[in-house]
Amino acid sequence: MKVDYKIPAGETRDLVFVNETNLDWHIIQEEKSVLRIHVLCLSQDDKDAKWQSSLTVEQNGTGCRTELYGMGLLHTSQQSFVHTRVIHNVGGGYSSQVFKFVLDDVAKGSFQGELKIQPDAQQTEAYQTNRNILLSRGAEMITEPQLEIYADDVKASHGATTGQLDESALFYMQQRCIDRETASKLLLQAFFDEVVSTLTDDDQREDITQRIQDIL
Amino acid sequence: MLEIKNLHASIAGKEILKGLNLTVREGEVHAIMGPNGAGKSTLSNVLTGHPAYTVTEGEIWFRGKNLLEMSPEVRAREGIFLSFQYPVEIPGVSMVNFMRTAVNEKRQHEGKDALKATDFLKLMREKKSLVGIDNKLTNRSVNEGFSGGEKKRNEIFQMAMLEPCLSILDETDSGLDIDALRVVAEGVNALKTPKTASIVITHYQRLLDYIVPDFVHVLADGKIVRTEGKELALELEEKGYAFLNE
Ligand SMILES: Nc1ncnc2c1ncn2[C@@H]1O[C@H](COP(=O)(O)OP(=O)(O)OP(=O)(O)O)[C@@H](O)[C@H]1O
Ligand SMILES: [Mg+2]
Repeated sequence: MKVDYKIPAGETRDLVFVNETNLDWHIIQEEKSVLRIHVLCLSQDDKDAKWQSSLTVEQNGTGCRTELYGMGLLHTSQQSFVHTRVIHNVGGGYSSQVFKFVLDDVAKGSFQGELKIQPDAQQTEAYQTNRNILLSRGAEMITEPQLEIYADDVKASHGATTGQLDESALFYMQQRCIDRETASKLLLQAFFDEVVSTLTDDDQREDITQRIQDIL
Repeated sequence: MLEIKNLHASIAGKEILKGLNLTVREGEVHAIMGPNGAGKSTLSNVLTGHPAYTVTEGEIWFRGKNLLEMSPEVRAREGIFLSFQYPVEIPGVSMVNFMRTAVNEKRQHEGKDALKATDFLKLMREKKSLVGIDNKLTNRSVNEGFSGGEKKRNEIFQMAMLEPCLSILDETDSGLDIDALRVVAEGVNALKTPKTASIVITHYQRLLDYIVPDFVHVLADGKIVRTEGKELALELEEKGYAFLNE
């Protein structure tokens, strides 16, 4: 179901979505509002889970801050498709998008991240990163960053990588008595830490950390 | 303690070690010197079981066991420690968590109980002061953003935590300033017992002023070509490796 939502000037919203099958939000931010969203997909048991998340955020007032975080820890034939759209209509705003996936077995993921900075949105700072780790040959990740920047006085960057676990780190840990499996777990927990550590609710952060551990 | 017989090893199909022999007994310190690319780090990697290297011929025995049959982590738990020439950064994995896991894996292998949190922290404190490493470093992720010298000092800290019987120091002196070199060397000496041994890979005499070797070997083109006492290091420092071409 599509949700339209407006954040009044100067207010802050912290939204956390865990395993939402069909997330579809369109959010308008007014002046100096702050939006923080976490989209978390991780299930140990639901082997055919399919999560679809679509987030559109428009900064319509100056001095807004938008932080989008997402993680998917997918295995078996789970799927998670994320589509974000961050639109800076006016200047002086900040946005960041950090999305991380780990895919095992024949899981599939996609991240389609749009960032649009309109001609009037000068002095915008906007960042996007998407990092993914594939743990099996059968897993698949599709990344499509899409940047449209029409203002010239902006700071913007994006980066996307898909790879395997860092072999040199694994060997280093093995040389320190840690078996490969435990080493992999430590690396994967660390990988998600960038997303999980930004959860503001302590209980929730612990809960998610525990769930990640259980799946790993 | 360690016996290497006719070791041949290759990486990416290229033979690097070409019939290397080396015997290390308890209580001994062996220095290995030799030109760049001779195969010194290859030897460390093969001893620790790096998966990129293939042993094509030869044997390695460590405390009566066939080393080549053990996984890298089992070799480490059996007491082989490598201070890496290039320590790896592991963002997001805290030094404390890393070390606690490492120490307890080793203890489990030895049939000991895991350390209680308070005992572990006590051990950390004790070893930190031994190698003069700052809390600021041990509170961070493993090697993340450490300077070259800090990484080397951190290697010796980890060595102190794990108390190996055979430690291999691969150019631990490179990147260390003069004071750090002394502190690190004193740390290594403090960990020395009649039951332990070290292989010290270095290009320079100065480390050997502090860690005095019983033997100095020259490794060239995948083999040990010369073995003498500590005075060989001085001679090499003076004359270089020209003798290899004679
Ligand atoms: N992945 C690889 N593929 C091919 N050759 C390699 C690879 N890794 C290392 N080598 C080669 O193996 C040889 C031995 O390298 P090694 O690192 O053991 O030398 P070293 O004696 O430690 O040198 P240094 O004193 O510079 O540290 C070098 O010629 C190097 O180029
Ligand atoms: Mg080397």
